[in-house]
Amino acid sequence: MPDWLGNIIGQDLLDGLNYITNGKHLMWYASVRFTIIAALLGAGFALIFGLFGAILLNSKFLPLRGIGLFYSNIVRGVPDVLFFLFFPLAFEQLVEWFFALSACSAQELAENIGKWPPCPDAQWFLGTYEYLLLASVSLGIVYGAFSANVIYGAMQAVPKGQLEAARAFGMGPLSVLLRVHIPQMWIYALPGLSNVWMLLLKATSLLSLLQIADIVLWADRLGAPNYLKQVGLVHPDWRWRYYLVLFLFYILVTYLSERFFNYLRKKLGRGMVEA
Amino acid sequence: MANIIELENIEKSFGELKVLKGISLSAKRGEVISLIGSSGSGKSTLLRCINMLEVPNSGSVKIDGEEILLKGNGERREPADLKQLHRIRSKLGMVFQTFNLWAHMSILENIMEAPIHVLKRDKKEVREQALELLQKVGIADKAHAYPNQLSGGQQQRAAIARALCINPKVMLFDEPTSALDPELEGEVLRVIKLLADEGRTMLLVTHDMKFAKELSDKIIFLHGGKIEEEGEVKEIFENTKSERLRQFLAASGH
Repeated sequence: MPDWLGNIIGQDLLDGLNYITNGKHLMWYASVRFTIIAALLGAGFALIFGLFGAILLNSKFLPLRGIGLFYSNIVRGVPDVLFFLFFPLAFEQLVEWFFALSACSAQELAENIGKWPPCPDAQWFLGTYEYLLLASVSLGIVYGAFSANVIYGAMQAVPKGQLEAARAFGMGPLSVLLRVHIPQMWIYALPGLSNVWMLLLKATSLLSLLQIADIVLWADRLGAPNYLKQVGLVHPDWRWRYYLVLFLFYILVTYLSERFFNYLRKKLGRGMVEA
Repeated sequence: MANIIELENIEKSFGELKVLKGISLSAKRGEVISLIGSSGSGKSTLLRCINMLEVPNSGSVKIDGEEILLKGNGERREPADLKQLHRIRSKLGMVFQTFNLWAHMSILENIMEAPIHVLKRDKKEVREQALELLQKVGIADKAHAYPNQLSGGQQQRAAIARALCINPKVMLFDEPTSALDPELEGEVLRVIKLLADEGRTMLLVTHDMKFAKELSDKIIFLHGGKIEEEGEVKEIFENTKSERLRQFLAASGH
């Protein structure tokens, strides 16, 4: 910030402005992208898994229904934090295990029993974006299980006569599903899906568990007490202030989501339930 | 003349309840047949067996000389050849009691849906036919409205247009006016009358005796899952043989 600005708005305010626009704070603001990417990508995966899960649950064929039930019931029962820790790690090691089969010699494999990875060549180094993708898939799997349940319920809510009419006109099962059942399901699924989205959104605050420098990790770092002048502004433990800013951020996103879902409800509700 | 519909010895149960106990009937090209009978007599179920919305436990259904292939027995009986079933269904124009217009599509889209996506016909040509049909049933101005913006009578007329647009060999009406307020029945009945006068083959399940009398070539009276009496209109109304039909007609004011 230019110094002359101090004459207009006062030196204290200028110092404050300078503080919240310093390099570290700009990094903090920029880290919002991780949260947004994880939320949108996670929601995309959740919707895809949810749709497939619901179609399985809706299947007349028992083994398929069984897979759907297993997915929606088991995954919904696991705490999201735990799954968030489990899935990326398990996936990484599974890939490394496959690598090891071809990259490591038989001798290395025999010598390094109990060590991970079995040989240095099999090590898979994950960057922030790889972790972000794995995080999104984890979110997708967990919240897909909730979505599957919501979408299944919505599919049941579509009046039977609508599907019967489609069959009577010669549509096959896939056409009935794609041209009538799924298009009509959304309006019933929307309230439930908006809930799932809110939960997913809040779960994005777990990204720091995967070493991603997200808004929560930065708030932690910036709010920590600093007693060294060389490092920057000297201040005591300010974390609560930073957390409050995060609260505001999440409340703002929630508000915007609410408006988006209202818009969707009106659009999808055309001809259906009076919005 | 060849029979367009031929049902042979149709039986249907829902669990313990035997709804149809061996019914045979046939419809010739251009014939209008009304199925009458009290609630629970099985007349709607019989109609739904023709396009396999209900699969009969035994017996056979032939449409235009082609038997619908079924496999399995009793409650487990199901269509054996889905391709064949879908092809045959697309020749039967069904009109439901509760209209069942697809709620997420405009009236025009409803009418164009099956011709385009099932019969794979040319979109432009279908659109022209759809607009003509809307004109015919008297709701040309509602082409771009959604079903829930229409009155019941208008919805049912749109549903009739939807069924007509597949150029069906047979029209099946399942109590088309039962869900309508009395003042809206007339407009739907007029359209059905128009179709009968055109010489279309129609099967009609109805409660409306006056209308059945006016419209039909043949009347079939069902009772307890069996055909109690059938015959030409005149015969049925003026020379009633069965005591049950006499009672039924008396109860409905004839």
